[in-house]
Amino acid sequence: MDSLRQLAINEEGFVFNPATGESWTVNSTGLYILKLLKEGKDEDTIARQMAAEFDVDLETAQRDVVDFVEKLRSYRLL
Amino acid sequence: MDVVVGITGINAIDNPGPGIGIAKSLKEDPELSVQIVGLAYDAMEPGIYMDWIVDSAFLLPYPSGDYRAYLERLRYIRAQTGLNFLFPVLDAELPLYIKYQKALEAEGIRTFLPSLEQYKLRGKDRLEEVAQTIGITAPRSAVVTSYEELARAAEDIGFPLMVKGVFYKAYKAFSLPEAASYYSKIAAEWGYPIIVQQVVTGEEMNVVAAGDGNGNALGMVGIKKTWITELGKIWTGVTIKNDRLLAAAQAFIERYRWKGAFELECIVDLENDTVYLIEINPRFPAWSYFATGVGVNIAANIVRSALGLPVTVADYEPGKLYIRFTDDFVVDMDVFQKMMLRGERR
Amino acid sequence: MKKPYEKPVITKVETGLMNKFGNAPYYARKVRTAIDGVSIDALVQQFGSPLFVLSERQLRENYRKLYRAFAARYPNVQFGWSYKTNYLQAVCAVLHQEGAFAEVVSLMEYEKARRLGIPGEKIIFNGPYKPVEILEQAAAEGALINIDHFDEIADLEAVAKKLGKQIRVGIRVNMDTGIYPQWSRFGFNLETGQVMDAVKRIQAGGHLVLTGLHCHIGTFIMEPDAYAQETAKLVQLKYSIEEHFGYQIEFLDIGGGLPSRNRLKGTYLPPEILLPSVEEYAEKITQALYDHLKPGDFPTLVLENGRAIVDEAGYLITTVVASKRLPDGRKAYIADAGVNLLFTAFWYKFTVEMDRDLPGVNESCVIYGPLCMNIDVLDEGTSLPPLERGTRLIFSPVGAYNQTQWMQFIEYRPSVVMVMEDGTVEVIREQEDLSDIERRERLPEKLQLNSIAAE
Repeated sequence: MDSLRQLAINEEGFVFNPATGESWTVNSTGLYILKLLKEGKDEDTIARQMAAEFDVDLETAQRDVVDFVEKLRSYRLL
Repeated sequence: MDVVVGITGINAIDNPGPGIGIAKSLKEDPELSVQIVGLAYDAMEPGIYMDWIVDSAFLLPYPSGDYRAYLERLRYIRAQTGLNFLFPVLDAELPLYIKYQKALEAEGIRTFLPSLEQYKLRGKDRLEEVAQTIGITAPRSAVVTSYEELARAAEDIGFPLMVKGVFYKAYKAFSLPEAASYYSKIAAEWGYPIIVQQVVTGEEMNVVAAGDGNGNALGMVGIKKTWITELGKIWTGVTIKNDRLLAAAQAFIERYRWKGAFELECIVDLENDTVYLIEINPRFPAWSYFATGVGVNIAANIVRSALGLPVTVADYEPGKLYIRFTDDFVVDMDVFQKMMLRGERR
Repeated sequence: MKKPYEKPVITKVETGLMNKFGNAPYYARKVRTAIDGVSIDALVQQFGSPLFVLSERQLRENYRKLYRAFAARYPNVQFGWSYKTNYLQAVCAVLHQEGAFAEVVSLMEYEKARRLGIPGEKIIFNGPYKPVEILEQAAAEGALINIDHFDEIADLEAVAKKLGKQIRVGIRVNMDTGIYPQWSRFGFNLETGQVMDAVKRIQAGGHLVLTGLHCHIGTFIMEPDAYAQETAKLVQLKYSIEEHFGYQIEFLDIGGGLPSRNRLKGTYLPPEILLPSVEEYAEKITQALYDHLKPGDFPTLVLENGRAIVDEAGYLITTVVASKRLPDGRKAYIADAGVNLLFTAFWYKFTVEMDRDLPGVNESCVIYGPLCMNIDVLDEGTSLPPLERGTRLIFSPVGAYNQTQWMQFIEYRPSVVMVMEDGTVEVIREQEDLSDIERRERLPEKLQLNSIAAE
């Protein structure tokens, strides 16, 4: 979670880690999840919030959040 | 005359592409008012950031992908910048541009390239034929597709020898096991056939030139590399006037009615007065600015010829030196972010 | 109003991969909702997934385009349909309707052509192994037999004696046409003089009459000049045989090997850029004929086409049944069709289209088949937007060699349908069930398991 907090996130979807020099590009929903994770929200809360706000059912949202988090983990961002 | 010229190969790195040299050459033509559109395949190509030479920059899809997507991207760039001439300079993209040169021209993007038949002359399996036609020689070579043939050819030619792909890669081998390992390395990456070639000794000399497609030269300069990097790239060089070498380049332009830029790589055996043709590059070399620097602006002549403007083919002096040097500069991250997110810098 | 949703994607900026337009760019994403006007959805609803779909229209168009390219340049052209490429009856029938002979290379293929109603004189019989019983039938029925080796000359002479007639034959020749690797295992070699030895041997026997020359220089030949060389050498050989032996060579069969617009693995450039047009091949070949044939001499030019006609007429519809995240961060999809059905996946990188436009940026992914085997990979590295479960992927071109080389391994083979020119859809091969797999099996009495259960 530490590395997540340091990230510099640009509104257009460019993510930079000042500690390591790594950068990423992220799409709008990815950006949305990233920000909520940064605020300390858990995966389930994020999925519910996303399902309420976006045109997506809860089940898909939950699957996608889990998948996204796995991807963040593979980048050692979590 | 306003010309908006797209140039690829703006990767001015330790193994530089030819793009920046061409861009500098065009900017030096006093009568042409040229806007340079840098065309890159990676957001980290230095040319993207060199805004004193490259006026705007765009990323292109890889030529290995769908050609329709590639053409669509060029259409977009033309709409944004008014692009009306394009210099493709990288080996991997030339087949695409050669095949679609007419389609591009119909859309207002001119190129100045050889035909597919002419382009095939660069194959290393055609080297001996071309060398003979233009009055020089080529190292003995054999086309092989199996280890048995490799062994037979090696016995014939003797060690050391060069193991080469038809279009890419070349290694010097001193023994059969070494040759076999290069053979499989090239075959795995670039496929068959593999060329086995005699190593010839002498002075390495090169010519950069261009033909207008009707048998006339648009400029020609002979050079010798005097210092090369570990990657084999020129660091310093000197202009030369070797008659046989220049006559061969002239013959190449006349006999094949070559259209566009090219480079002949040769080894000149001064003791036996033999010029060996080692390679034909159907494009500008990375050091093409050398020619411009001695007064022979080949790139500008190509653009002029394509636009029907007068062309002056100047002569040059032997004994001029070429010095490449390193330089560096610092930019903010925003151009990089734009290239990553939008694929363009304007 | 809720905001439109696309699946979340994050991609690391890495050296060498800093180009959003690099591979499979966003705007070049391929969506296919129908094949020849019949929707993918309707096809799957009716015939299930996976599903092979062949297009009658495309088959005929490809045939006609190729045939016209040659017939417009040379007065005497005959195509043979290469059965081994796809010998489904419906496919063969379409091409026979178009005028193709059958080009067969085994006993089974010969029997298939005959059962379809093709007379012997419209069958070209090639291949290195022709059992004597089928040679006898083919000879009696007047098939065009191309001899592969000296032992076959002897076999055919025995057949001729038995039938009490002379048999008209062709011989297969192999030669150097600048193509690597040179196919030297079939027929008689030209450069070593083996061909002339074979002709001498045929004449000495007196039972066979040489009327044709056959050659096949390789497969997926991307160089039209190779065919020009082949053609020139065959014409020279024809005259040399006619002069020295008095035979009349009536047909020159230059074989097949023309490429389809498919992408061979390991080639950097796409087929549209790498491959010459059909006209370029036709031009080189017919030019070589005119350059070397004597005026007024027009032997039949035979081409044995397969891949170039049928490959692009074939599609495979598959369904994404699951997705997972690999340890390296890549996305993996499991499709309901694998290398059991797409044998050519071993050497081609296919075009992959989706049945719907999905939002979201592309991410790199792998497409696996359903087999419990590590080699079951349909695409080891492509770039697609995040796919929903149930998304259909359409692979193409897959019309060549898959319906003849597919394997029956742990799955039933699916239906093959043909979208007809009139827009209807015909099943041309039904989906298999257990009876197809077990029909030829015999379970010995003492191994019957129901008796154990009954105890």
